[in-house]
Amino acid sequence: MNSPSLIQTQVLIIGGGVTGTALARDFALRGVACILVEKDDINAGASGRNHGLLHSGARYVAGDRAAAMECRAEGDILKRMAAQTIQDTGGYFVAVEGDDERYVADFPSLCARAGISARAVDIAAARALEPALSQRTIAVFEVPDASIDPFRLSLESMAQARSLGARLLRRSRVIGFEREGSRIRAVRVLSQAGGEELRIEAAQVVNAAGAWAREVCLLAGAPIGMTYSKGTLLVTHERLAGRVVNRLRPPSNADIMMPGGTVSIVGTTSTRVDALDDIRPTTAEADLIVAEAARMLPALATMRYIRAYAGVRPLVGTADAADGRAVSRGFALFDHEDQGLDNLATITGGKLTTCRLMAERAADLVCRRLGVIRPCLTAATPLPVAAECAWTEPGRSPRVWMRSHGLEDPLLCECEMVSGSAVDAIYAALRSAGDTPTLTDIGLRSRVGKGACQGAFCAVRTAAHFYSRGDFQASRGIDEIVDFIGERWRGQRAVLWGEQLAQAELMEALHCGLFGEELRGEELRGEELRDAGVPDAPPAAPAGEVSP
Amino acid sequence: MSPMIFQTALYASLVLCALGLAWRVSAWFRVRVGPDARAVTLSRRVAAVFQGIAATLASRRVFQIPGAFVLDVLLQRRLFANEKLRWFGHLLVVVGFTLLLLMHALWASVTVKLFQGYQPTLDPYLFLRNLFGTMILVGVALLLYGRWRRRTGLPQARRRIDAAFVALLAFVLVTGFLLEAHKIASPRAFYRMAEQFIGTTDAEKLMPLRALWASEFGVAFADLKTPIAPHLVQQGRELHRDACAFCHTPPASAFVSYPVAQILAPVSGLLDQVRADIWLLYLHVFACFLGLASLPFTLFFHVVTAPISLLVNAAAPQRELPGQTFPTPTLSSAVRASRRALALDACVRCGICDMRCSVAPLARYLGNPGLLPAHMLQATAALADGSLLRPGREAGALRAAEGAFLCTDCGRCTSRCPVGLDLADLWEAARGDLAAAGLPAPAQWVQARAALAWAESLEAGPGQYIFSAADAWSAPLSADRRTFSRCVQCQTCTNVCPVVAHSIDSEHGVDLTPQKVMNLLRLGLGDLTLGSRMVWDCASCYQCQEHCPEGIRVADIMLELRALAVHRLGAVRSLGERS
Amino acid sequence: MTGARRDSFDVAVIGAGMAGMAAALFAAERGLSCIQIGNGGSLLFASGLLDLLGVHPVAERRLWQSPYAALAALAREQPLHPLARVDAHSIRAAFESFVTALAAAGLAYAPLGERNRKLLTSIGTIKTTFGVPLSMVAGTGVLDARPPCLLVDFRGLREFSAAQIAATLGRSWPGLRHQRIEFPGCEGAPELYAAHLARALETRETRARTVALVQPLLGDAQAVGFPAVLGLARAREVHAAFEAGLGVPVFEIPTMPTSVPGLRLLSALEAMLSARGVRRRHQASVRALAFDAHAGTATLELEGISGGAGGERVFARAVVLATGRFTGRGLTADRGGVRESILGLPVHQPGSREAWHQRDFLDPSGHAINRAGLEIDDAWRPLGASGKPAWPRLYAVGSILAHQDWMRSKCGSGLAIATAWAAMDQVALALGGTGAG
Repeated sequence: MNSPSLIQTQVLIIGGGVTGTALARDFALRGVACILVEKDDINAGASGRNHGLLHSGARYVAGDRAAAMECRAEGDILKRMAAQTIQDTGGYFVAVEGDDERYVADFPSLCARAGISARAVDIAAARALEPALSQRTIAVFEVPDASIDPFRLSLESMAQARSLGARLLRRSRVIGFEREGSRIRAVRVLSQAGGEELRIEAAQVVNAAGAWAREVCLLAGAPIGMTYSKGTLLVTHERLAGRVVNRLRPPSNADIMMPGGTVSIVGTTSTRVDALDDIRPTTAEADLIVAEAARMLPALATMRYIRAYAGVRPLVGTADAADGRAVSRGFALFDHEDQGLDNLATITGGKLTTCRLMAERAADLVCRRLGVIRPCLTAATPLPVAAECAWTEPGRSPRVWMRSHGLEDPLLCECEMVSGSAVDAIYAALRSAGDTPTLTDIGLRSRVGKGACQGAFCAVRTAAHFYSRGDFQASRGIDEIVDFIGERWRGQRAVLWGEQLAQAELMEALHCGLFGEELRGEELRGEELRDAGVPDAPPAAPAGEVSP
Repeated sequence: MSPMIFQTALYASLVLCALGLAWRVSAWFRVRVGPDARAVTLSRRVAAVFQGIAATLASRRVFQIPGAFVLDVLLQRRLFANEKLRWFGHLLVVVGFTLLLLMHALWASVTVKLFQGYQPTLDPYLFLRNLFGTMILVGVALLLYGRWRRRTGLPQARRRIDAAFVALLAFVLVTGFLLEAHKIASPRAFYRMAEQFIGTTDAEKLMPLRALWASEFGVAFADLKTPIAPHLVQQGRELHRDACAFCHTPPASAFVSYPVAQILAPVSGLLDQVRADIWLLYLHVFACFLGLASLPFTLFFHVVTAPISLLVNAAAPQRELPGQTFPTPTLSSAVRASRRALALDACVRCGICDMRCSVAPLARYLGNPGLLPAHMLQATAALADGSLLRPGREAGALRAAEGAFLCTDCGRCTSRCPVGLDLADLWEAARGDLAAAGLPAPAQWVQARAALAWAESLEAGPGQYIFSAADAWSAPLSADRRTFSRCVQCQTCTNVCPVVAHSIDSEHGVDLTPQKVMNLLRLGLGDLTLGSRMVWDCASCYQCQEHCPEGIRVADIMLELRALAVHRLGAVRSLGERS
Repeated sequence: MTGARRDSFDVAVIGAGMAGMAAALFAAERGLSCIQIGNGGSLLFASGLLDLLGVHPVAERRLWQSPYAALAALAREQPLHPLARVDAHSIRAAFESFVTALAAAGLAYAPLGERNRKLLTSIGTIKTTFGVPLSMVAGTGVLDARPPCLLVDFRGLREFSAAQIAATLGRSWPGLRHQRIEFPGCEGAPELYAAHLARALETRETRARTVALVQPLLGDAQAVGFPAVLGLARAREVHAAFEAGLGVPVFEIPTMPTSVPGLRLLSALEAMLSARGVRRRHQASVRALAFDAHAGTATLELEGISGGAGGERVFARAVVLATGRFTGRGLTADRGGVRESILGLPVHQPGSREAWHQRDFLDPSGHAINRAGLEIDDAWRPLGASGKPAWPRLYAVGSILAHQDWMRSKCGSGLAIATAWAAMDQVALALGGTGAG
């Protein structure tokens, strides 16, 4: 391979999660040129694998008041500046028989001290509004929780950053740092797609790799102390409540149900993990969540679940507690100067709700180093709506489709009712940024595959759609279908019982029974091999050509 | 006692009754239900009815009438097919009443002619009177209980005058029993008779007889010391044989009034002083006359209307309704016009149609009893006499319209009606009148707006969000997650749907497919389905439901969505076009 | 030997999928009075192809040219596999009898022979199968010879892209072209549905217009492939008309559900059964099933799918469970484990749910849950908790049986037809009838 091509910029951001994209926007608004490298795709880590809660802060009033107040302040800012990404559903904190009465008694005053409004609600009234609540409810408080769409937040932040000159390199993994004394001269980046290598020379480097921040720091030779906590959530087939419903007790397993637009999201668990590779939800975690959450919302015991997902919380510092809940959920900013580096900053930990603030702090540090005096604008600048980023909003595509109906606009995804034109819009946007969009990219930026069928039908339709438009060539379609369904499977596997198991069986009947996707690369064998009449395919033969 | 008063009162009430009957019967030709009825003149209607009767008498069908009279009218087989309990109750009332009427009320003109030496104070008449009276009371109790047992959970259709009539009936019986009881126990009555038949009222002379009557006939002599010497009773027996036995048997067989008499015994002297015998008699008799006079305007009128209705069914050529136990007649529009007017009178508000009605669950969910047949019938009557459309009663009119148009024409009410009313025809007519009165069929106004436009008016409008989680635990299929949580997205419902099949070209294309309707419901976007052409063009062929591999009730849901649409979209109809 | 009572039968078959249909057919052919309960909707998932056995062992993903050779290997290596319990002779007889009956009902299959055949699928993979409908058989030939060939699809039929098939196979099949056309009369319709197109093509006019659209695109094509929408009841006529009109062999390519060949199967099987006097309750399911040891009869309590119309009872001397797996609802799974849905029969299954499924969907060894199912004795009778047959004349056939993975072995129809045949031999034997097997 010839010498890697060189790119130069002011700031290099590592990691395309909520913090990384918020940083890109922050720098762009301050007029600082930046490049964001992401090893996978937007919100591929914890940023895309959380319950999408915009914390009122009430969850932390007992354990960590500072964090609670931070949440409250940042929540207010986001509700004003990024309204399109937020559904102001309001939230309940609910205690059921057997919960710690003292905690219940202290809750209002604790909230008051943190400046969070917590209004006691009559139990009958609450159950009238949210009939799913248990009959064994003993206390209900209303708090200003809301739900936020982290994908739309990151996508639109990045979209604005780009419009102001920032660059995004997806599927580009940092593989090394070139140090020169106290400076990082260049960062070596490997593009997963083409396999080619880049050298990026930046005056400043910000490590916003979330859970992967430690690995990046090690590559840079400036290790930091971090622990990981894995959290798993379940997605229901239908939406069960209009509000956020929290369990009124100290943070523990399965203490929240989020309204996810057309579905409900139930979680979470928290277990210490040491490695980041192959994080996936387990059946044990699913059982634990169903059993525990059903005490708060009994319907969850009989509900149909369509998938589960697991993310890793990066926790700064080292904790003894096995579940890592004891560790502060506050964020940490490392300047690495004590480690002899003056152009690397690492921002990690924290929460979805505080991502803007985290970006602001990190950007302030970097700008100080760059001698840029322009202040942070993200707290006062509304996040512009970007049409191609709006498709992650549940329940939006059906309305748009019904409005445009009569035109030639078939639905590619029936479950969540995503139309061809929606998919085309997303495709075009990615294309214009010089990407080659995959089905998985489309899935991340829309509701395709998020519904009951989990890709069994929509993957096939979308692939067929792209072929017919000439966007897909050769045997790429089958590979993409397999990838897409494979990725969906990771999440389905833990919740396959009842109806969803029937759904999964149908999926296998189609994709294995009929299409024989598992047999790609296999040739007819057996005693009559010679007259099998199959031409010997070249080793690099396209997958579909060989005969299952 | 002045029979004169009774005579005049009797004739007066008979006249009133006759006049009332004439008025009510004339209504069968005056009242107009249904557009076709409005086209027919009164004279034409009268003529048609007589032609009809003549035709029947000429035809072979005339031979069906006696059988129908026995089976339908006398034996009430339709009621029997519905509910054994109420059938039995009804039978008790009819038999008890008829016999009491003949043997007791009309004794002078009936009983004495049949049985020489009839005396009301002799057995078996003494016993039978009590028996018949009891039969009526028990029967009424059974009827009331039967009605209560099968309540729909919604207010039942009823008229105050019906309750008044039942009360009156009870009153007649109670006063009757009291009167009898008082006469048994009354010393005054004893002396009066003694004077008449023995010629003395001297207590000492009559001692033996009194002894006997006190011990065996329950007369409560205040001055008689118990225990009574047996020899006295023996002496009394002879006297009794000579003077009283012709007219008196021991009243113990009056199993109601005799015990009552024993209860009254302590106060019988007092009652004698206030002449209870007289005013009880007046109350009893005038109550009967009142009942007679008011007959045409009370529930009791069905004694006239029900047999006519049932016999018309038997006489007229028949047609079958889906799932019908008994056939319904087909009639010329002129005759049908009168038949409808008759139906408004013939309904006994038994509520059997209500409890069989296929939209009853929906009526409960929407909290609108107007969906139930018995209520629809009353609304239809109100529509006919114009009271339904009076200003200030719009709400009522709307509820009635909702009922008329949410009716699925399943025909259960018609096939179940114990009076054999052709209700299906009545609803059809009512819908016509409502449309004429500016309350047209929903299909007309719903399709004037696009599904999305409707959904937007709903957001702007009042009223709860039918498909919110809050409803997921209440009646309707479309709001119950369990209805479609089985869906595996296989598209079978759409592929077997003839409506989609016949509109695959884009300009006639339905806006949604069955699968999309189901998915919108699952997504909590049910409002988008209410005004959709898929829901309103659905042919209810049930192909989708029959083919669904997961047994989802797609077609049932489509029907239900139409119903919910009428209810919800009706509420925001005023909000103008928004798209 | 029809039962004395109107509502009593020799055999009650529960389930109307491929196995249930086959069982009912074979019962009728053995002169047994039969009632079938269950909704045939699951047949609409069928591709119309009759797999026998394509892959063995699953973990090695080994494809076989000869299903019978594969069956022999299977019998050696997996004696518990239901197909290992049926001898080749019976399987041949069962398939012959099945396709003969279908042909009589107007659904013709190509002569079965001894070989598996290969066909294109709608996403461009190649499927190995055994029984192929006449309307598809031309596709097997062209796939082997790969002559110039035209694939046609219709804009709006969302799951089917001729372009995808052509592109996928293009490199090793240069003569493979594709064209997209508007379906006559549906120009501009955003979505088309296979069954509707099939119905539309039964009208001569639509047919003619379609052929006229394809004619000029033919070029050097020696065969033309269409999505499987060429007619429903009159499929034969439609197919013939296409071949006559285009002058080259025409073949259908199976589609995703709802599959038109599935619909054809369903109506053919329904016709077949009613012609043989099999009573059907396709809108009912079995609410309760009770056995009377003395009378030796089973009582089935039925209920309509709409919940209502309940209470009907039927009586049978033998009962055949053909209720399928999870999609067919023969098996019910909750977080705790799997049970048989009607009687709660014990189900052979993996220890914990964690072991039900592999971490990767396409894991070569397949998912353990798919091998779960009912254990049976040599007479096809499911075993109760005691390890003995749950009832002397209760039988189980088809995919509900344990120790098989039909989706990976490509043996779905084979499993259904062969086990139904073998079990029905046992039923006839038990009822003192004539075993045809």
